Amino acid sequence: MIRRLPAAVLLAALAAAGAVPLLAGVFETKLRLPLRPKLAVTGRERISIAPFLVASRTSDRREAVRVADVDLDAEFRRYLAKLLSKRTKMTVVAMPADVKLPATALRELAENGPYWRGLGARTGADLLLTGVVDFRVENKSGYKTEEYRSPVDGRTYTRQVLVESTGFTFDVSVLAIDARTGARLFLENFRDQKEKPKRAADEMAGLFENLFSLEGQLLGLFVVREREANRYVFD
Amino acid sequence: MAKKGFWHEALFRFQKAAALSPNDPELQNNLAVAFEATGDTTRALAAYRRALELAPEETHIRRNYARFAEYYTAAQRAGFGADAPAPTPTPPPMPTP
Repeated sequence: MIRRLPAAVLLAALAAAGAVPLLAGVFETKLRLPLRPKLAVTGRERISIAPFLVASRTSDRREAVRVADVDLDAEFRRYLAKLLSKRTKMTVVAMPADVKLPATALRELAENGPYWRGLGARTGADLLLTGVVDFRVENKSGYKTEEYRSPVDGRTYTRQVLVESTGFTFDVSVLAIDARTGARLFLENFRDQKEKPKRAADEMAGLFENLFSLEGQLLGLFVVREREANRYVFD
Repeated sequence: MAKKGFWHEALFRFQKAAALSPNDPELQNNLAVAFEATGDTTRALAAYRRALELAPEETHIRRNYARFAEYYTAAQRAGFGADAPAPTPTPPPMPTP
């Protein structure tokens, strides 16, 4: 015997499956919402990237020699300068090679207005960037249980297999300074983690994967970004 | 216009219509969406609030407002732009009958 479902139940089931069209007179539309940048730049500013403090090179001593080859400060500044000159209208001014930071703590750096004013005058920049970078590489290994089918008797067994991976963590705090006044404009922190399914994966490749993931967030400090969102509009 | 994504044109028309029918919640909602699409979050917030005032139980308006509030709050927390006061949290939208 076929029982008829009540209309309300049918509608609820269809709604759950996402099959019910919107009511007549309403439609859903996608908006691209602007996200204004953290820093109100006109786009024509001259920006210069001062050295960044390097918090630690690695958390795994056995890999220290290999990671020591990565000059994290230089790599990050080169990447950031390239990103800013390509993707913003700002002019990236070269930082003199002999510039040394006056402190090894971020708070002291942020409060050293006279130093930044002097550096601003020397470089002719409107904005200065500095901060702290940290890149950690962790080799991990452990056992996991998996099923396998024996080629001898065709039965399924469980076995322990060794799993090795390399974890990359990149952490950066970006401090922006008004080069004319030496005042701190903002301090933003970004972090990205990646994991590669083998031991001792290439550090440089890991570092740049982290950096590419953070690209949008870093650019969001200086340029308008967009975010997609759905809204209902009445006809 | 809104369906085609011509939001500045749509906004112009919604504003004209809302001037003629200021108590129409659907028009206030559309106006709010158009303000959002053109980046004017302050006026979008005002229009959503007006729409909710006129039709507090309207599901689509409540949903729009909830989504707007999420975007707006996230933007404010990140320090991106928004200069109007934060919207008040709204209860979850009622299920569509």
